[in-house]
Amino acid sequence: MQGSRLKLLMPALSVVVVIAVISPFIFSSPFWLDNSVLVAIFSLMALSVGMAYGQAGILSIAPAAFASVGAFATSVVTTRYGLSPLIGLVLALVLPMVLAYPMARAITRLSPLPLSIATLLLSLVLELAIREGGDFTGGYIGLSGIPTLWFAPNLVSMHILGWMLVALVLILYVNLTNSAIGRAVRTARHDPLRATADGVHVPSLLAVYFALSASVAGLAGWLYAHHLTYMGPDSLTMHVSIKIMLMAVIGGASTFLGPILGAAFLTLITLYLPAAETQGMIFGAVLIVVLLVAPNGVLGTDWRTFFNGKKRKSDVARVQPAVGGGAA
Amino acid sequence: MFELAEYLLRGALLGVTYGLLAFPVSLLFVTTGSVDVALGAYAVLAAAIMYTVGGPAGVILAIGAAVLASTVVGLISMRLNRPGAVDHVIAVLGTFGLATFLESFILTIFGTSPMIRQPFATFWDFGNIRISPQMGINLAVCIVIVSILFIVLQRTPFGRAMRASAVNPVGAALNGIPVRLIWFTTYVLGGLLAGVAGVLILFSTGADYSTAFTLTIWGFGSAIIFGMHSPLRGFAGGLIIGIVQALSSGYLPGGWATAAPLIFIFVILSMGRMNQIAATGGRV
Repeated sequence: MQGSRLKLLMPALSVVVVIAVISPFIFSSPFWLDNSVLVAIFSLMALSVGMAYGQAGILSIAPAAFASVGAFATSVVTTRYGLSPLIGLVLALVLPMVLAYPMARAITRLSPLPLSIATLLLSLVLELAIREGGDFTGGYIGLSGIPTLWFAPNLVSMHILGWMLVALVLILYVNLTNSAIGRAVRTARHDPLRATADGVHVPSLLAVYFALSASVAGLAGWLYAHHLTYMGPDSLTMHVSIKIMLMAVIGGASTFLGPILGAAFLTLITLYLPAAETQGMIFGAVLIVVLLVAPNGVLGTDWRTFFNGKKRKSDVARVQPAVGGGAA
Repeated sequence: MFELAEYLLRGALLGVTYGLLAFPVSLLFVTTGSVDVALGAYAVLAAAIMYTVGGPAGVILAIGAAVLASTVVGLISMRLNRPGAVDHVIAVLGTFGLATFLESFILTIFGTSPMIRQPFATFWDFGNIRISPQMGINLAVCIVIVSILFIVLQRTPFGRAMRASAVNPVGAALNGIPVRLIWFTTYVLGGLLAGVAGVLILFSTGADYSTAFTLTIWGFGSAIIFGMHSPLRGFAGGLIIGIVQALSSGYLPGGWATAAPLIFIFVILSMGRMNQIAATGGRV
């Protein structure tokens, strides 16, 4: 019993150990502390993609959009109304859920593919809404002067808070995945008919799971806003979403630690990439190469069998009983 | 009333090119069960090349580049979404990767400036509604292309093979139809149509590097209005999207004018136009 509990805590413990080892080396460098906080924020967003895509099979093209809902929620209540960032936290967790659930419920009645397109639509509409939000969202200028968190006033404490949140989300995520709900979600992903026959109400289950993943993105947005103390229309755009998706896919969207590994790798490598406009070419090419070589990501691929040239488990897992679903 | 008539006419003419983008969306969905998110990027790439090169050589190069890009996507998607190992979402992710690549490529090579050409200085007059002759050319080109595709799909052995692959890929493969080749051809055909649409867009509304995803959305929205399972209906859907855009621009303020057509597509999506795919849990 204790062994299984420890197994459930392993991903979070791994993160805590790695951060504990790294921290003494970066405590004296504001540059690396700042990047560490950003890695933690992007890890949360990538975990949100991992939940939606890796577990439920719903490709969300809007993790940054949900994060921006959380970020603007806390920015507005703290700067416009002078309320506590903790109230902002509640809103950052709840509002993305409130937005995602009905959207998913309306669209994932049966197929996750249209929901992917709907998230793309949502991303575009939200970007427009933020730009046209006038004084409320700061319009094209954005909202500045967002207060730092009173319980994490400097970079060191933000670094600790960020990774504590990542560990907390990981513990909850691992528990959820290993619960009856998590098993039902995986069954629904691979064979909705089978899940329905097992008594699972697939559309509502997927919608709830999608809403939870949106909430994790909202949490990342909350941290983002209070870390950077500024939110503008270009802060969390669809290009950030693309980067987040890439992080999850590179690391392994269906694994617990893969999105975090992807977030760390991509955030750090971005520091050494050329101008921003050419980064899309690199990200796009990397995404394609990863999908072709190891579609389950670095941590999701069985490298021993991969290099031995045997049939990969990933391929077996992806085989479905019939093809040509579009012809129904 | 005159204003409304003007918006309807302009919208319908604008939607003609969306109809051209909707055709490959439907065709690909029917044939492979997937969506090519990079369609808009092919169109913008074609527009950018046509804008830079110009003339008949520009047309050939523009459409050729779009076909080349779609060939790459076809090859990638064949690897990701092959018969026997189908994952529609992972194939969409692959096309998303190429769309991102192309958008960045266009931004790097051609810059951020809007690309538009106005080849006509004089306009046609329809009851005081001034219409550019380019819109007439767009309409004629689209009608010719869609008619040819209709004949190819309905009257030729290739069209029959394509429809057979869509209805029952396993059965089609057992009957000697090269299903994988048909799937690949569908991707390339999508690039060809998007390339033509891109050239027409350059001469009518114009484009810039950031319009790739929005063009995909317009093509996708056009395709779902009357049902994803009929490529020809997608053309009619394009007219509707064009009209919604024109009416939004005419009657709604600022940002709403851009957001309203997106919300309209979302409403259509939520009506379940694409859900047939998994109605049997993927066991088709």
